[in-house]
Amino acid sequence: MSKHNKRIIQEANDQVLQQLTRRHFFKESVTGVGAMALGSFLSGCNWLGSKDGSDLLNSAHPLMPHAPHFAGKAKSVIYLHMAGAPSQLELFDFKPALQQLDGQDCPQSLLEGKKFAFIRGVPKMLGPQAAFKQRGNSGAWISDNLPHLSTVADEISFLKAVQTDQFNHGPAQLLMHTGSARLGRPSIGAWATYGLGSENDNLPGFVVLTSGGNFPDAGKSVWGSGFLPSVYQGVQCRGEGDPVLFVKDPAGMDRDLRKASIDAINEANRATYEEFKDPEIVARIAQYEMAYRMQISVPDVMNINDEPAYIHEMYGTQPGKASFANNVLLARKLVEKGVRYVQLFDWGWDTHGTDERGAVDYGLVNKCRTIDKPITALLLDLKQRGLLDETLVVWGGEFGRTPMQENRDGKKNPFKGRDHHTEAYTIWMAGGGIKKGTSYGETDEIGYSAISGKVTPYDIQATILNQLGFDHEKLIYPFQGRSFRLTDVYGRVINEIIA
Amino acid sequence: MLFIVTEFIGNFHPVLVHLPIGILLFALVLELLQTNTKYQSVALAIPIAYLTGATAAILSCITGWLLSNTGEYNESTLNLHRWMGIAVAIVSVIGYYFSVKKQASISKYIAFVLGILLFTTGHFGGTLTHGDGYLTKAFSATNSDTLFVPKPITNAQEALIYKDIIQPILTEKCIKCHSGSKQKGNLRLDTEEGILKGGKGGAIISVGHAEKSEIFQRVSLDPLNEKHMPPKGKTALTEQERLFLQWWIQTGVGFSKKVKELDQPNSVKLALTALEKNASAAIIPSNIPNELVDKANESLLIDLQKKAVVVLPIAQNSNYLSVNLINLKTIDEKTLSQIFDLKKQLIWLKMPAIQLSETAWQKISMLQNLTKLSIEHSNITDKQLQYLSELNQLQYLNLVGTAISSKALLQINGWKKMRQLYLASTHLVTSELIAIQSKYSKTEVDTGGYRVATLVTDTQLVKAPIIKK
Repeated sequence: MSKHNKRIIQEANDQVLQQLTRRHFFKESVTGVGAMALGSFLSGCNWLGSKDGSDLLNSAHPLMPHAPHFAGKAKSVIYLHMAGAPSQLELFDFKPALQQLDGQDCPQSLLEGKKFAFIRGVPKMLGPQAAFKQRGNSGAWISDNLPHLSTVADEISFLKAVQTDQFNHGPAQLLMHTGSARLGRPSIGAWATYGLGSENDNLPGFVVLTSGGNFPDAGKSVWGSGFLPSVYQGVQCRGEGDPVLFVKDPAGMDRDLRKASIDAINEANRATYEEFKDPEIVARIAQYEMAYRMQISVPDVMNINDEPAYIHEMYGTQPGKASFANNVLLARKLVEKGVRYVQLFDWGWDTHGTDERGAVDYGLVNKCRTIDKPITALLLDLKQRGLLDETLVVWGGEFGRTPMQENRDGKKNPFKGRDHHTEAYTIWMAGGGIKKGTSYGETDEIGYSAISGKVTPYDIQATILNQLGFDHEKLIYPFQGRSFRLTDVYGRVINEIIA
Repeated sequence: MLFIVTEFIGNFHPVLVHLPIGILLFALVLELLQTNTKYQSVALAIPIAYLTGATAAILSCITGWLLSNTGEYNESTLNLHRWMGIAVAIVSVIGYYFSVKKQASISKYIAFVLGILLFTTGHFGGTLTHGDGYLTKAFSATNSDTLFVPKPITNAQEALIYKDIIQPILTEKCIKCHSGSKQKGNLRLDTEEGILKGGKGGAIISVGHAEKSEIFQRVSLDPLNEKHMPPKGKTALTEQERLFLQWWIQTGVGFSKKVKELDQPNSVKLALTALEKNASAAIIPSNIPNELVDKANESLLIDLQKKAVVVLPIAQNSNYLSVNLINLKTIDEKTLSQIFDLKKQLIWLKMPAIQLSETAWQKISMLQNLTKLSIEHSNITDKQLQYLSELNQLQYLNLVGTAISSKALLQINGWKKMRQLYLASTHLVTSELIAIQSKYSKTEVDTGGYRVATLVTDTQLVKAPIIKK
């Protein structure tokens, strides 16, 4: 430790000691000593035994790469979440029978005992507002809203009978990404980096990119680390301005000075760690050092101007502006550099029909146009770089939309729109060892409920972990006296779509 | 009702049976001890040991007999176990008699005989519960719990419905509990007679009516239902397998019919093509070798990790390694030679954008076990590519953005197992690429250059018509 740093730490300690008088000791230790004693008893008992859980966390190098349970096909995941819930009936689930019922009253059997977010009374049925065709050799049904994606339909496995039990955005998004509709649990990306670590020393293992103008309703917890050490949380990289907030040095500070100050802070932290052995301290040390490296590496990788013109054309990117297309290109670049989990959130899919932007025949069409080309380009770009087989791409929302026209407060909405629907929605997966050109799960003729091949968000999480090489029942972390896992006590791997 | 009660009592057999084992062995121990004059006094306990052991043995026989009535066990092993168990009970009573009579010499021999009987009875009991060869299972390498790989079906129409489609399903998911050595519910599913006969609850197939057939009903229940087959914890039948089972029952449970002779609804036709596709998919070799390999030198791995080389086992239960040099722009001699020391275990190597010397490229050919090599954007040249032709296990090669030429690629003859070749962003022209694809006919050659044409609608916004009021 340099003399300078020693002096700083000594000064800090002295100041603390000046505060702690004998009076302070007696006053504070009324409960303090008892708690200390309990703590020392408990830390001695290894309550949960040394299970694989906490063995994965090497406090000194929390992001050190690990081998998964078995050799998974995927090394990285790109999750494209359409926040607001895209309407499956206008995109992937073709229901001609629903067209026949367009404008008619909704039958009582579909309303009995059901709770809707906004529908009240008896709504009218709304036929599909898009034309569908079968695409590619697999015959996948994709609407005209996604002409580009239709050309790569043969790479995709559709899950048409996904079900959830949450019909509000926040809890539903939390359920999809953290395995619980309540706050406090780590997200899939956090579990993935906890389990696999990160191969690239200079970049975070879990990156989040948002677009569409707003954050997802569930807030930042949807990419949080929950009870896992905070080093596993998602790092939000922004398309506009500073790629990562608060990482850049303030004006006038040069990089060497920054390095020296980080070194001093970390030495103080190490001394504290020696005293208290709190693993969170080591995580903090690692984060400071990673932040320093990220100052150079992140602006580097986030700079899409370096990409050749044909790539920009392929994705339809607009350098300088924040857009979904830019984020998708960034996702590819991050995965190329070994980032484990890239989570994209695009806001604006909540097509209730209350205004033009929320109309399934206007707003939805425009949203589709912003994602169609970039996603297609992503799949093809990953393919030509030889990365599609080891990158799992997942697309979906947090629930589906009703076959009925929404009538908020009993009055039909001014535009065509659908309410939140939990009983059936569509999610698709591609790459990362997933079968090509298949569809699993079916809904009834009007797309109201799932009749076969039902899957839940837990099943999707189990499948993602499976493709990364983990048995979702064995990737655990002890917390609050029991072992937790992403899928809690549910979930099965959807073998039907795995190659 | 009586049957339920007797079955309930019979289920206590595994509990009770441990008592005579423990107590009678203890009697044997006491017999041996009391030969030593220091422990003469323990002889007083021998009669009571025999008495309690005999009582426990008799109770075990009774519960054992009740349990055997459920008929779920292999007859021949059951017979042996039953008579040896009865022998234990009888001999222990005799032993009691002689111990009370204080004829130490005779009761010693009886204890010895009892010991042998206990061991053999117990062993057969274990065989009944755990299956043949359970004792030495740990020594045999074949793990029967791993993947059952059915014969892939290349021509579904010519396949035999029972032998090629239904039987593999039953073998994989049902035979473990419903076969010759273990017949839960008195049901055997490994023979034609067994299937048609059914089990304890009667016939499991109603020919022509899948919904009325117990076997189909059980596998179609909600997985959380207690009666769901296979039981909780075991892999359930897939949708496709259920469909085939249903179709087989509907079409008359033919044991020697070919698929083409049977009526095929659309769903079945689709499933049959899927089966054929799986067959062709199953032929793709895995890029992980089947043979086992020794663990690599730990200190070597730690040393490399300190230098920011990502070296990991490909899975927790494997000694094969993958190396990723993503954190390094170039590697020095020492690191290189350390990597080459891992040549037995190294199967996946990733070196994107690496700059290597001539000798370094030459040494890469020493990594004979490589199945995946990623050298996109590296400085590899045609000459150096030739060295790589010695990697005859290579299945995946990523040459995106490198300066190699088609001539070099066409000259290589060693890549017999190549399955995926990535050549995007190279200077190869279309005619050359066609030549390369025809040379590597079994390989997926991806030359990239995909274009997603811009449509006018991509940047147009649809707007609702403005209704003038």
